[in-house]
Amino acid sequence: MRWQLYKKDPRFVFLSLIFLAVLLPWLPLGASTNYILRIMTTAVLYMILALGLNIVPGFTGLLDLGYVGFYGIGAYTSGLLSIHYDLSLWVILPLAALNGALWGTLLGAPTLRLTGDYFAIVTFGFSELVVLVLRNELWLTRGPMGLPGIPPPSIFGHPLTRDWEFFYLVLLLLMIVLLVVTRLQDSRLGRAWFAIREDEIAAQCCGVNLIRYKVTAFAISASIGAMGGAFYAKWFQFIHPDMFKFWESILILCLIVFGGMGSIAGTMLGALILIPLSEVLRAVLPQGLFSARYLIYGLVLVLMMRWRPEGLVPFERAQAKKAKLLQERLTVSGDGE
Amino acid sequence: MENLLDQSSLFLQQLVNGITLGGVYALIAVGYTMVYGVIQLINFAHGEIYMLGAFLAYTMVTVLGIPFFAAFILTILVCACFGVILDFVAYRPLRKAPRLAALITAIGMSIFLQNLALMIWGSQIKSYPRDMFPAIFLKPALSIGEVSMTWIQVFMLSITVLFMVILHLIIHKTKIGTAMRAVSQDKTTSALMGIGVNRVIAFTFAIGSAMGGMAGALVGLYYNAIFPTMGYIAGIKAFAAAVLGGIGSVPGAMLGGGVLGIAEVMGAGYISSEYRDGISYAVMIAVILFKPSGLIGRQIGEKV
Repeated sequence: MRWQLYKKDPRFVFLSLIFLAVLLPWLPLGASTNYILRIMTTAVLYMILALGLNIVPGFTGLLDLGYVGFYGIGAYTSGLLSIHYDLSLWVILPLAALNGALWGTLLGAPTLRLTGDYFAIVTFGFSELVVLVLRNELWLTRGPMGLPGIPPPSIFGHPLTRDWEFFYLVLLLLMIVLLVVTRLQDSRLGRAWFAIREDEIAAQCCGVNLIRYKVTAFAISASIGAMGGAFYAKWFQFIHPDMFKFWESILILCLIVFGGMGSIAGTMLGALILIPLSEVLRAVLPQGLFSARYLIYGLVLVLMMRWRPEGLVPFERAQAKKAKLLQERLTVSGDGE
Repeated sequence: MENLLDQSSLFLQQLVNGITLGGVYALIAVGYTMVYGVIQLINFAHGEIYMLGAFLAYTMVTVLGIPFFAAFILTILVCACFGVILDFVAYRPLRKAPRLAALITAIGMSIFLQNLALMIWGSQIKSYPRDMFPAIFLKPALSIGEVSMTWIQVFMLSITVLFMVILHLIIHKTKIGTAMRAVSQDKTTSALMGIGVNRVIAFTFAIGSAMGGMAGALVGLYYNAIFPTMGYIAGIKAFAAAVLGGIGSVPGAMLGGGVLGIAEVMGAGYISSEYRDGISYAVMIAVILFKPSGLIGRQIGEKV
């Protein structure tokens, strides 16, 4: 029944989910409330990250293996700015996003000329270099000692400390990112991206400036990743170069492949399923085996590509969907005006 | 004067180490470049075959008590079979799928195998116990002045050269080699000419994986450190070597491996040892950006 409703109007499910999320901290969950809230905060953070990554492989059809580099850049931007300059969160978030976009443009402009597989490998090299720099430039990042003591964000002079406050904050960020991504999807920019994904040469022939649109996609994706990192630093209040290793990129890629590449709802669903699942695994598996959970992520990637490459919730263009619905209605009622 | 002599012998020693390392990169890079030449796929799981090679040789020697040289040959055979299975299970079903799908599968396989090894062998670094280590390998083979080369370095270098020659002969003098070259130029036309394309691809995977596994067994002995993530870094560096030489070109992979090995050892010795791995990434990115066809690769135009 509900699924039927969803098919008619996705906003219904969306609003009920929002309602549920806002209600979550006040449900009678007893002692585990804070634990669940922390898991959900992580899940929502990964939704944001997955929505950001989705722009490059999902919308534009290019494999980006260096996403975590931007996440790390954002986290360190946020951490360093709050420790040294004590800036407000509302200044830090845009600055981190800008810094991400800057690096995205710097990396994207020369590399997006390349074919897809070369691009994948260069982005990978970039994220490895980011980790190496974070680890070795002690004067800036304190290297392997990590960056402790990042002050928590404060809103109207009230420092956030409780789990539900962070949960609401990340939810707010998700709303912003979601708004941006859905609007982009249906914009001229989005149409250009899909055209590039479907057929680069045909897109070019229709006057799509490949480089410009690809770099834009990459920069926007990078800035969302950096913003996620900025929130992460403020939330966790400690960051370390090892948090931004290649594995994170794979995890986020896994989320969008599982949920449905290119599909916004699918991407979010992927994060909503897989992130709490990994927390369950942490509780169930013995210490040594927990690090092998990536075995499952690897398997998810392989099996999804083999049996269901479109993911749980396949991507569908809003326009095409409207046209299809209209056609269905016309054939049912029988009067084609 | 004394100091100058020290400097030059240090340089020569570094050069010897660099060439040995470069030979290993070349062995792995050949696997990347051949697979890329035939099906235009970056086989990310290739580094994991190298890692499996190291673990297999180690397990055969320490657990089963097989002498190293027998274990070495067995490892090569098992890795070749493994490459064929990998192709059959993971890549063959996706031949007609978009390239993004195959690339994601390759990444997934790589992650899967790495963590499988983690579950089987654990995350601790494994090393050959002293009494099982072939004793001759540690002795210096030849030394000129202060520059010396151990037997293991001699062994590694000669194996590398030997197999490169064999590979060259296979590609240029045999029927299957001709078929490989044909498939890499045009799959459809080769199929029309009666070449079993899937069989040729499987053969390519077998050879590439055999050489990757061989490199793994050798490095496991050389550094005497075997761990599940070893394939990840070596794989990327070998890929960098393949790109540097020109992807799809076998002599290019050898040249690229040599240059990268020397660059890495020299960079670590004279510039900064913290950025040892960074040097390979930087070389790779620079080559991809400024000369994507590599040192001796041919310019591949995009087919419409």
